[in-house]
Amino acid sequence: MLIETVDLKKTYRTGKVDVEALRGVDVRIRAGELVAIMGPSGCGKSTLMHLLGAMARATSGRVLMDGKDIAQMNDSERTAVRRTKLGFVFQKLNLLPTLTARANIEIARTIQGSEGDEKIDVYLADILKILKIDDKLDRRPSELSGGEQQRFAIARAVSHRPAIVLADEPTGALDSKNSEAVLQMFRELNRKFQQTILLVTHNPELAGYADRLIEMRDGLVVHDSGSIASAAVGN
Amino acid sequence: MKWQIILSGLRARPVRTGVTIMAVSLQVALILVIVGLTTGTANEIGKRIAGVGADIMFQAPGADVLLAANGANLKEKFATELAAKEGIQRVAPVLVKISTAPLVNIFGIDPESFNEVSGGLVYLDGKVFSEPDEIVIDDIFSRDKKLKVGDSIELIKHKFKVSGIVQNGKGSRVFMGLEAAQDLNNSPNMVSVFFIKLKDSRNINAAIEKLSADFPGYELRNVPEYAALMNGASIPGFDDFNAVVVFVALCIGIMVIFLSMYTTIMERTREIGILRSLGASKMFIVTLIMKESILLCVIGVILGTIGSYIIVDSAKSFFPSLAFLISYKWMIVAAISALVSGVVGSLHPSLKAASQDPVEAFAYE
Repeated sequence: MLIETVDLKKTYRTGKVDVEALRGVDVRIRAGELVAIMGPSGCGKSTLMHLLGAMARATSGRVLMDGKDIAQMNDSERTAVRRTKLGFVFQKLNLLPTLTARANIEIARTIQGSEGDEKIDVYLADILKILKIDDKLDRRPSELSGGEQQRFAIARAVSHRPAIVLADEPTGALDSKNSEAVLQMFRELNRKFQQTILLVTHNPELAGYADRLIEMRDGLVVHDSGSIASAAVGN
Repeated sequence: MKWQIILSGLRARPVRTGVTIMAVSLQVALILVIVGLTTGTANEIGKRIAGVGADIMFQAPGADVLLAANGANLKEKFATELAAKEGIQRVAPVLVKISTAPLVNIFGIDPESFNEVSGGLVYLDGKVFSEPDEIVIDDIFSRDKKLKVGDSIELIKHKFKVSGIVQNGKGSRVFMGLEAAQDLNNSPNMVSVFFIKLKDSRNINAAIEKLSADFPGYELRNVPEYAALMNGASIPGFDDFNAVVVFVALCIGIMVIFLSMYTTIMERTREIGILRSLGASKMFIVTLIMKESILLCVIGVILGTIGSYIIVDSAKSFFPSLAFLISYKWMIVAAISALVSGVVGSLHPSLKAASQDPVEAFAYE
């Protein structure tokens, strides 16, 4: 099991009101899966992604990655998890606007310590070809289309071969043509490199590109098309 | 790679970068020019006094090292008494009067004794004063006030005619007759200082010791050491004034850097969120912001130092009598002040940036 949540809860306090964003989520993600987490706005999918992505601490419950509970780690431990095991793609403004696309990837590799790793260089060259952006490395984000920016964000997210890539509404700011292209590329990365990918979206069309669909509502998982439990029942 | 982020960030915000560098340059220039002016003026006065050529300066008890600050509180007839002492070759009585507009020291001298002690004023034009309303000026004062022989100038509410122009470097920029100065000062037969020339200049301190025994309480100064004395430490309030200048410049620098870096982290909240999501540690963010701030300050120090020389040269061309001394010591002080501003001013913004919650940073648009 690559990552697993156990009775995961997250409560936000806004003024004097407690908002329960997650009310006990149990999810198990296997290595190499392409999973879509879906649900309407406010259902807790982004909060789940933040917790899976070691960006926030849980109120209670556990997020187990390699047997370690990242949900209760302190900031520097969570930072180390993000640096070594995770890659992120966000809805928009993913790239540092003042740097070229190449520098955006290089800064990630510097932070992640994979700078100068020849194996990664070869892998990255491959990724850039798959994403069809290998000829646009010296452009700044402002010189790239939204789809191209998103593809560079994907390249950066996978540049250090993370255990899992988390994408929060990656096609949210794209037109349908670019959305489709980006989703195809996620699938290709998943197929070719067995890259585990978790897509968070409210767009039902996106679900068609995933192997597994997890639906959320009101801070709970209401449907999981491929959970370990349902797989066992199916067998 | 970190430098690439910093440099590209600076290039992307040219106005902020330019204004910050300019402010740090001004901080450096403020220190170098103002301290340079005070130090330079003191140093130049010291050199001019040393240029008189005397070995000992004899002043009234408790007299200040700044001659103009003392008035006329020595009886002129002491000169005869002093001259009679063993080992003394010549005594030149001088009354020092200060003109506030224009600001200049006027030496009331007895030309004969003053020339014997100083080796003589070197005349570039004209001759020594022969009337009470005549003055001799040095070449710098002449250039500064655009005066030539025969021209008039008002000093101490009196109109004087220039009778001669001498080479600078011997005591004062303006000379007049001793008696005329005493009349003007309402202090007949009184002077401010005696410049003493010894027969043997090799052991000034021994002569001072001897004179001190004969004239207890009087201020006796070794003139060759006077220039060094005039570098600051011995002038009352000099170091305090310079410290205030450095402090004010430092405060300005810290505020400018604080504002600049605070603005930049607010503008770059999302960028910082991206870096944090990539796994950049808090230290990475702190050093990124601090390095940017320090780079701005280093550029500011370089430009500020160059700018100081330009300001000094311009000031000297407009006001030749101004004296500046930009020393390595004060360059280092100004540079340290700017770098301290860079570190202190960016401390809070960098810590604030580092402590940003990545989730909140991403929500920021």
